[in-house]
Amino acid sequence: MVPTLKGRWATRILLFLWIGVPVTFLFSLIVAGPRSPTLPLLGWHYDILPFQILSLLLIVGLILDPVYFYIQQFRWEKDWPFAFQFFVTIIEFVIVLGLVWWGVLDFSRPRSQLHGTENYLLYTIHFACVFIPSFIALLGLIQIFMIRWRFKSGEWGRM
Amino acid sequence: MVKFPILLDIYQRGEGPLKRVERISLPEAGDYAIGRLDENQIVLDTPEVSKRHALLVVREDGMAVSDRGSTNRTYIGDSEVDTSPWDGGLPIRIAQFEIHLVPQTISGAETRVNTPNENATRAVSGGATTATPAPAPAPRGQSIEVALNAANAPSEMRFPRNVFKSEIVSAAEIKSSEYFAGEYTYLTVGGGLGSFVWADHLRIFGVGTGDIRAIGDDVIPYANYQRLCRNSQIPPHERLRSNSQSTPDNIWGFPGYASRETWKDLKEFRFGSLKYIFQVFGEASLAQTFTPRSGEVFKSIDKEAQRIGWRDMLTYGRVVGIRKTNDERYAVAFRVPEDQARGGVRERIMIGKFLHIATGYPATRFTGDLQAFKARYPEEARVFNAYENHEVVYRTIESSQAPASIVVRGRGIVASRIIQRLYEAREKNKGITVIHQMRNPIGPKEGYRYKGAQRYVYNHIENQAFNWPKACWGGQLLRETERATPEERVKIYEALGGTTTADRRDWRNIIQLGIGDGWYKPVFGHFETLELVKTDQGPKIQMKLKAQGNQPAVEVVADYVVDCTGLIGDITHSPLLRDLAETYKLPRNLGVGGGKIGGIFVTPDFEIAALRNGSGRAYAAGQITLGGPQPGVDTFLGMQYSALRSVDHLAVLGAPNVSLFGPLRSFSQWIKWCTNATP
Repeated sequence: MVPTLKGRWATRILLFLWIGVPVTFLFSLIVAGPRSPTLPLLGWHYDILPFQILSLLLIVGLILDPVYFYIQQFRWEKDWPFAFQFFVTIIEFVIVLGLVWWGVLDFSRPRSQLHGTENYLLYTIHFACVFIPSFIALLGLIQIFMIRWRFKSGEWGRM
Repeated sequence: MVKFPILLDIYQRGEGPLKRVERISLPEAGDYAIGRLDENQIVLDTPEVSKRHALLVVREDGMAVSDRGSTNRTYIGDSEVDTSPWDGGLPIRIAQFEIHLVPQTISGAETRVNTPNENATRAVSGGATTATPAPAPAPRGQSIEVALNAANAPSEMRFPRNVFKSEIVSAAEIKSSEYFAGEYTYLTVGGGLGSFVWADHLRIFGVGTGDIRAIGDDVIPYANYQRLCRNSQIPPHERLRSNSQSTPDNIWGFPGYASRETWKDLKEFRFGSLKYIFQVFGEASLAQTFTPRSGEVFKSIDKEAQRIGWRDMLTYGRVVGIRKTNDERYAVAFRVPEDQARGGVRERIMIGKFLHIATGYPATRFTGDLQAFKARYPEEARVFNAYENHEVVYRTIESSQAPASIVVRGRGIVASRIIQRLYEAREKNKGITVIHQMRNPIGPKEGYRYKGAQRYVYNHIENQAFNWPKACWGGQLLRETERATPEERVKIYEALGGTTTADRRDWRNIIQLGIGDGWYKPVFGHFETLELVKTDQGPKIQMKLKAQGNQPAVEVVADYVVDCTGLIGDITHSPLLRDLAETYKLPRNLGVGGGKIGGIFVTPDFEIAALRNGSGRAYAAGQITLGGPQPGVDTFLGMQYSALRSVDHLAVLGAPNVSLFGPLRSFSQWIKWCTNATP
């Protein structure tokens, strides 16, 4: 884990697109109720809420990345152990939970469908489903597909 | 001026110290041939010496030594020479022999002068013999006219100069000559790890074995690296200073060595090595940095070499010259061993479109004071570079209970490992003490600083996981060095650089233990003199240690000195690179510290721009590019990076069969790697 700030953002967006969106899509099919909207062609019910949570996670992460990068500057190696990334990502999720509790999503549906232990447990399961494969990707799966990624401080593309 | 007769002592290195086998007297000016055959005036009869190995030219006004295209080459001190003046300061080294000039003042006494017309003198112990110069010592038209006063006297007719007459040579002429050895699209010179990693990338990017040739003087790509490891006391089970994802056998860096080691153990229901996964997870703050075992790395390279067909691509030989051709390609001249000679011809020239040079460190470093001691007492095996074979030190001190003190010079990773080795030797002999010589003390808060961060210092030694901060291999520091101007780059390297050791708890503990028990003592300064003195416990080295400032010199007495200050990176110590740099006026990188010159200047794609030949391209990798856009060029990951950069560059140029290597090809090739299928 030796990313630049641009690399952090690029990797976060990459994992959002590659892992976050597909996993959340599957999750949204599972948690959808009978009154949820349906997909135009397939006719499946899905729930928009997991996508809202995922987007919150992305926004919180993008905002916190400069903070992480700043902390890295005080480290000789200018790196950051995987373990640190592991813990701060969990903190990011806690912040997202806090935002939901505070009411950032209250505009979208009745409070009873957003709050309460049952819903928070669902958010946590969703987060785990996204977080675990993303973290494994970070540990090595990305470079199987993107061989230059590790030399480009986490940024995409050619060198 | 040369005083006749000249006396030469010939020493032979066996298992232990050098043994003098013969003293030779050269009565007059002339050309004295050195070699294995009896027709030579100085016969060194072992298989490692070529039939006609070298020529010692003696004139009234000086001497010169010239290699005659030998397999194992000729050295003055540690520098390989083609043709060089010789003042006798450093010995001429040929295989396991050393030829020393006997100072005139001590000559005479034990010398027996033979009749002048006795031609060959076989190296046998005892006495001294006289060699007469050969009337015409030039076999196969290789007449050597050595201009004794010129530093690099060219011998116009000698291979490859007889073909490489100008900066650009005719490909047609080479192809019709007896030397021609084939033409290939991709040629890599060196045959070591740098060449291997480059060829590995090419193969995986789509090039077949038939289009790639590597020319090198070791069959195994890691042979030289392994030798250095072994000599510096890293046996197969000891760990290297390298990271899990620095994998010369796997271009993706995944799976890394940590997960492979863990997986291997899990398959046998052993769970102890799960700690390696936690190491990678927590390094370097919560756990010590994971480093792979040297033996595991070598085994993995063997497997990959097999998979990509390394043996099919390797040509065994020593490269002696490189030139641009008149058809936008490169000609590489090399010599093959005697047993591969074609009708007596061992010289070959191969032509390639895309050239890659990765020849590695030219020589081991010997600081002046130690070199002088070695020259003065050639029979005393007491002073060593840690990278040369010095097993005799451990064997001797471990086999007795006599007190023995060893000076370890330097504070790099090798010094740490040698101190650990001596700590292990103390299990067998409690009389072993270590004197750790360092230039100057470093306080706990005096580590190098760079942009808000500082290195840790323990026991006057700076600590760092690898030889550069991790972000130098792919992170913001690599960004900074790539974008910097050469002048800014030097400033960054000076701020980040300096000798460090790995942050290993066991090493810190060993030194703490040593200080506590009184067998480890750090000393600061440099040695003004080294003398051999006779004591009651046998001969010892007596040194005058001069600290910085005005303090008087202190006397230090020890049995051995092990110099851990490293290898020589100066490319001019390699005749091949010196010739190349001079012929094409290759720009060099700025050197770090005190105006020294760095390696060959390369672009961020590792291209040697000054060698561009129309559509032909030349790249370099490894240590010879030191001081350039990437700091850690002489590391596993650095070589992977440079290989990827240059092969990517080739892909963009549209070089034959090199794919752009997008995600799908990358993934399918990775599957092939996992299943050990040919790329």
